[in-house]
Parts: sequence; structure tokens; C-alpha cells
Amino acid sequence: MKKIANVILGVITSIGGFAEVGSVSTAAQAGAGFGFELLWAIALAALILAMLVEMSGRLSAVSGRTFAAAIRDRFGAHFQLTLLGAELLLDFLLLTAELGGAAIALQLITGNDFRWWIVPVGAVACAILWLGNFAVIEDGLGIFGLVTLVFVVAAWQLNPPASQIKMGMVPSIADHDLARYSFLMVSIVGATVSPYLLNFYGSGAVEEKWSEKDLWSNRVTAFVGISFGAVVSMGTLVTAALVLGPRHIQVDSYEQAALMFLPVFSHRAVLFFACALGIGCLGAAVEIALNAGYVFAQGFGWPWGANKKRADTARFTVAMTGMLGASLLFALCGFDPLRLTLISVGITVIVMPIMVLPMLVLMNDDLLVKTHRSGPIGNILLAVLTIVGALLALVVVPLEILGGS
Amino acid sequence: MNLVRDVLDKLVVDRNGREMGRVDAIVLELRENRPPIVRALEIGPAVLAARLHPALGRLAATVEEVAGLSEGRPVHLPMTKVLTVSDRVTVDVAIGETGAANVEQRLRRLVRGVSWK
Repeated sequence: MKKIANVILGVITSIGGFAEVGSVSTAAQAGAGFGFELLWAIALAALILAMLVEMSGRLSAVSGRTFAAAIRDRFGAHFQLTLLGAELLLDFLLLTAELGGAAIALQLITGNDFRWWIVPVGAVACAILWLGNFAVIEDGLGIFGLVTLVFVVAAWQLNPPASQIKMGMVPSIADHDLARYSFLMVSIVGATVSPYLLNFYGSGAVEEKWSEKDLWSNRVTAFVGISFGAVVSMGTLVTAALVLGPRHIQVDSYEQAALMFLPVFSHRAVLFFACALGIGCLGAAVEIALNAGYVFAQGFGWPWGANKKRADTARFTVAMTGMLGASLLFALCGFDPLRLTLISVGITVIVMPIMVLPMLVLMNDDLLVKTHRSGPIGNILLAVLTIVGALLALVVVPLEILGGS
Repeated sequence: MNLVRDVLDKLVVDRNGREMGRVDAIVLELRENRPPIVRALEIGPAVLAARLHPALGRLAATVEEVAGLSEGRPVHLPMTKVLTVSDRVTVDVAIGETGAANVEQRLRRLVRGVSWK
């Protein structure tokens, strides 16, 4: 019974933790610009994420090692340091964007410039990191994150045509502005398949002492939780398509994105949008900072764990706090969080192949996953993802230049 | 045993199961007309950085020196102290007896100053 309750909790937190600055902004832009046409990209990205997260959880449950630790064990220091550098750069940019997103949410509510809110947001994130254990951070923030279901409620209230949603789930090529369409498609994948999620999820499995007995719950949490989580992104896209698209409102800022709630929630529209954005971004910010501590500690063999006393894991604690502090300082420079988000999702796409290829090797290593190796389907999908990811990495910069503005 | 595959970069734990770091270098003794022999394992950012480039190793050693953390570093673990090699390397020392704990202890004082958890 406890196991089932844990699985349900895992699914709920996956839903609550899905929406953050990248998924909200890319889905809103896609809906405003191309109606339902990019729904399939969200479904595809969610499938990729679920597959990778399931593998990361399986690796941790069977071997007791996380993705970052297994990389150092299996591929050595040179590759680990390359991947560490790439992941930390991404985490830094994404964390800055999340802090900015949460600050923008407070700007929408109070009217004060978002720069004034960056330090308070950072202080709250720091307090959660220092005072919370893993359950508080993962489950607590995930449950609060259920407020992001407001995107689904809004879409439901607008009564979207089922036939168009069905058509949107089928991959298609846009009949106008192909560069922007392609850019948004790649950005949706980049925003959804955030590399930090792989190691964060696997670290959670180790924190919660998963074993081979937990593989079924890992599978359910990964596939069911992320599938439902993707519905939040789809709700954002559908709402933007029905409200912003017909009015030719492009989402160049979060203030414009908030307009999508006006027909449904009228005078509470901005408040609801801000709450969903703010809580989603704060949750993601805490997870990204925590993951920075994980990748440092696991890669270099330091004591780590959100369930341990912070003083007993001093280097881990300083690493995650340092990442939060560095991002906070960068965020104070006042970069446009939306622009920063799009840059970071572009870099995610570039980094993705070097994250996915080692996963293919690790998931076929008997010493790590014993008899729980990936089957032919999983291997083929990962191989295809590596090749497609490499091709996307080649085109993402030209697409960002041609279709990103 | 394949040294690079089975030992290099593996997690090192002390006799109490506490993480000491990873095997950043393996010290071999070259002997005339006889195969080399493994003398020790080493842990520390200076030896890890030296694997990337000797200049980086010198830089990391200088940083440790300036920060007052160089005592007992890099951590040198003679093979006679190695108990087991599996998915991790277990050694018959306590982390507190080595320089592996220098940074952790320094930062622990800082963290204790601002946290009760």
C-alpha cells in the first residue's frame, strides 16, 4: 500500500514539476504562432524525456549509482569533466532564467520591476535548499506545482475543437514561417528534455534507496507522471492558440503570455498566470541548484545527499549554494528571462547528443544494470535520438538566428 | 584486473565507508627487466588536473598551497592499505587521518556557522 502511495505521489510531483520557464514560454509561443500545429512536438519531447528518465531511474535503482557517478566510473575523468562543464553551463543559464521567471511572476502581481524580486526569490530558494530534505524539495514543491494545472483548466474552459487537437498530434510542416516553426519545434524539445532532470531523478532514486524491487514504480512514475505533466504544456499551447493566436499576439514577454488567461479568468487572469509561472519556476530553480551539488559531489566522490545534515556534506552544500549565488548575480544584471530561456534551450539541444550517447552505453553495461539492460527497442530509440539530436544540434544555432526573434 | 577500467576514477571509501574522493591517479614503479608494480593510489584536484594538462596540475597545486589546504595532498594511499576493489575502492585508513578531509573540514566550519541542519 505504501509503495502504491509513493507511486501516486511520484506521479503527482511529476505533473507538478513539469511546467517551468522553458516549457511555458515555448508552448505559449508555439500556440500563439502556429495554433495546435506543434502539439506533437510536446508529445514527442515528453516521450523522449520519459524514456531517458526511466533509464536514469533504472540505472540508479540497480547499480546504486547516479548518471553523473556512472559517467566518471565508466568513461573516466576527461569525458566526465567535459560533460560536467556542459551541464553546469546549462544549469547556470537555466537557473538564471528560472529565477528571472519567478521574479517576473512577482512583477506581474505587484507591479514592481522584476529585478527587485530576484534577491528575495533567491533567498527563498536558498532557504528551501538548506532547510528542506529531499521529500520536502521534491514532493513539497511538486504538490505546490499542481497550481500549474490552471493551464489545463483554462484550455478545458475554452472548449477546444477535438478534431484540431487530433490533427495537432500528427507531425506536420508549417505552411508559413518555416524557420520559426522549426525553431519552436526544436526549442520545445530542448525545454522539455532538460539534462538536469536525468541526474536529478536518478539522485532522488538513490536518496530514497530504490532497489530492483522499485523498477516497476520507476517505470510508472516516469511514463505516467511525465505524460500527465506534458498535458500541462499542451494546456498552455492550446490556451495560447485559442486566445493569443486569433488576436495575432506574439509572446515576446511574459506579460503578453499572461493575456492568454483573460477570457477564462478575467480579472484574476494575471494572478493565476503569475502563481503558476512563479511556483513552477521556483520549484525548477531549487531542483537545478540541488542538481549542481549532485553532479559535483557524485563526479568527484564527495559525501552528498539532501537528506543528510548540511554540515556533513559541506562541499555538496557549498556547490549547490554557489551555483544559486552565481546565477542570482547573473540574473541581477537584468537579462530578459525569456531571451535567456530560449538561449538555454538552444544549448540544451547542442548538449543532448553527448548526454544521450553515454546513456546508451551505460544501459547496456552488465556491471551496472545487470540483467536490466535496455531491450532492442530502447536501444534503437536511443540510437535514433542520438543521431537526430546531433542533427538538431547542427541546425539549432542557424534556427535560433532565423526564427528566434 | 584492468587498472584503468577497474581502479582509475573509482570512488574511494575509508574503512568506515565514508567517501574520500575518486582515484585520480595510479602510481606505478617501473622496474628493470620486470613488469611495473602498482605502488599507490592518489586523490586530489592537483593530480586530476595534471591528467588534463601538467600546467593545470601545477595551477591546482598552487591554489591549494595559497588556500592553505596543501598539507597531506595529494592524498597518497599505498597499495598495502587497499582492502577491496569492486565498484568502489575500500582502503584501510580513516578519512580524518588524511588530507582528503581538508576542504570538507574547512567548509564544514563555514556551513555550521549558518545552518543548524
